[in-house]
Amino acid sequence: MYPRWLWQALAAPGVVWLVLLFVVPFYAVIGVAFGTLDPIFQNPIPIWNPFDWNFDNTMQILAQFAPGERYWQVFARTAVYIFFAVTISLLIAYPVAYYISRHARRTKVILLVLLVLPFWVSYLMRMLAWVGLLAPDGLINGFLVWSGIDTDPPNWLGGHPGTVIFGLIYGYIPYMILPLVAALDRIDKNLLEASRDLGMTARQTFFRVTLPLSKMGILGGCVIVTLPMFGDYYTPMIMSGSPTTSMLGNQIYLYFHGGPQPDVGATLTIVLAAFLAVLMAYYLYSVAKAQRELQ
Amino acid sequence: MTEDNNQRDDRLERVLQRLGEHGMSRRDALKAIIASGMGVAVSPLVSRVAWGAEGPGGLPLARPDSPVTLPTHGEAIADGLEPESGTFTVFNYEDYLYKAVLDKFGEKYDVDVQITTFANMDQAVTKLANQDVDVDVTEITPDRLTQVTAGKLLQPINQGYIPNLQKNVWPQLQDPFYDRGSQYTVPYAVYTTGIGYRGDKIAEDIPNMDNPWSIFWNAQDYEGYTGIINSPREAIGLAMLYRGNTDLNTEDPAVIDQALEDLQALIPICNPKVNNTQYQTLSQGKSWLHQSWSGDPLMNVWWYMPEGMSSDVIRYWKGPKGATPVQNDCWAVPAASTKPVLAHLWMNFILEEQNAYTNFTSYTGYQPPLKSITPQGLIDEGAVPKHLRTAVVEPEDVGPGSIQYATLTFEGQRMWQDAYAKFISGV
Repeated sequence: MYPRWLWQALAAPGVVWLVLLFVVPFYAVIGVAFGTLDPIFQNPIPIWNPFDWNFDNTMQILAQFAPGERYWQVFARTAVYIFFAVTISLLIAYPVAYYISRHARRTKVILLVLLVLPFWVSYLMRMLAWVGLLAPDGLINGFLVWSGIDTDPPNWLGGHPGTVIFGLIYGYIPYMILPLVAALDRIDKNLLEASRDLGMTARQTFFRVTLPLSKMGILGGCVIVTLPMFGDYYTPMIMSGSPTTSMLGNQIYLYFHGGPQPDVGATLTIVLAAFLAVLMAYYLYSVAKAQRELQ
Repeated sequence: MTEDNNQRDDRLERVLQRLGEHGMSRRDALKAIIASGMGVAVSPLVSRVAWGAEGPGGLPLARPDSPVTLPTHGEAIADGLEPESGTFTVFNYEDYLYKAVLDKFGEKYDVDVQITTFANMDQAVTKLANQDVDVDVTEITPDRLTQVTAGKLLQPINQGYIPNLQKNVWPQLQDPFYDRGSQYTVPYAVYTTGIGYRGDKIAEDIPNMDNPWSIFWNAQDYEGYTGIINSPREAIGLAMLYRGNTDLNTEDPAVIDQALEDLQALIPICNPKVNNTQYQTLSQGKSWLHQSWSGDPLMNVWWYMPEGMSSDVIRYWKGPKGATPVQNDCWAVPAASTKPVLAHLWMNFILEEQNAYTNFTSYTGYQPPLKSITPQGLIDEGAVPKHLRTAVVEPEDVGPGSIQYATLTFEGQRMWQDAYAKFISGV
């Protein structure tokens, strides 16, 4: 009925969006990483022609990703923080998403709105609010002292990894819950009933039916929160400020924020993007595999 | 790193030799490589030529004991011109100028006024160089002055429009080391770098310690409440001062490496925070000991004291002249300014005693270097508590014999930044 090109044309806005807001800027970062600097102002001068790229810096930086070297240690710290943040987020998000999907009924819309509500306030403001709450004389410590739980409460903002991980969880957990709700909603209720009819307990139904069928939601949620966490620099900066809790994003920020080496910042960005591309490839492979299994 | 640089220098030397065989002088060959846009990435040697062994564009590096007269690019505006009309735009850090003072200027000259902000001096220079902003007067720090002058981003000023420079400003800054003859700049604010601390939390008598800077390396009891300024120059400079090195513009790798080692040693001692929030965290109790600029304790006392808390708890120590950094920043007129007359009038206006005083005490906390503003005067007027007299800079603190972070060569900047990056990586 309709010409084939019409359907392809529908993808045009998305393609244009991707090209303008991802491909071009990312190529600019590559151009800066392998480019040069203005000799007077030290502004980066991207080199667009790949045949003119200079890889000396890249090799030096890659060498520092070897085990024991500087970037390796920062990267390992970042990965550990994110592993804990994503795992704990999942442990919190799954029951919440399960409740919303299975039991919320009339309150489902309200709960979903409440989940989205934090997005109305900027991430920075939400973190700053926690700084106030976690301050030495903040409400949290005030409560701990008042209730007698801890008469000498810790300085939460004194450079603790736990505080940074908490900040990451708080900041990104809504991104984990929403895809999980969507995945759980998509599970055919008849499958659950069939499971029960065939003699499985509620617990067995959850572990053998619901959980496997929500695997794509889990993976999707994990990917959605992992990607921005790897680039995050303001959470450790605001919630800790200590060098011992700095993440790879802080190194990128330092080199991009000022000084004569924006090319180093750009190279670190590319290395990080390459690593995340591997994670993304695994996710896409899993999605494709799951779709094949469904067919 | 050094080995890699040497290899690149060797490669460049071979290229230069080949160009030399074709009759090109060494300097011309280097310039050609720079102009090709490939040079700096190829070798630090090229950047040393671009910035000279001195500064950007081959200009000499200014130091308090080695003043520099900058070359003049273009002509200053003529005498007796009428101020322009329209919107006058000031280029400045955020929160570093009292809007009421700017509005007063607008009323006086019957123009609309606005502020365009930058996050740091790198961003300011980039925006000026790329002509990303249309601004009439700009804030600038002395360490970037040779760079923007070499890049011809500023126009010379006509001091005839700025009588307050001679009338009100400290003599030491009427003819500053970084801009002999004040050809491009007038000073805006002056400050020292010292130690801000809570007198009720810190047991040590910091001012009477043999080496007050060493308090950071003895701050085990203040873990989680200790902070360092988030700046490569200030953080590494702190470690140098701790060792008694007062050449804060050194490019000696051994000295920089030692400073890095000392900074890294702080981590197991007191796990310092690296931030610039000391202007409020001391009074809020989030930090007890923080490397600070002299404006910070004043802002703590003026704007952030919790109700019922005495300002006596906020203390500030600075070293004697030559042992503590003293800095200032300036105003200058961009070459592309479309309202240079108003820009000159603004420079004169902000050096007017009352305007400068209001801007300082009602908003910025950073002191203008005016003769009328003295420690005793500020104390008598109740603007500064007596115990924070140390936060007020005096004319004798600046000039020859003082120490100030100044322009480094390209390689020097890289060394300082890399050392700082290693420190904040927490490795």
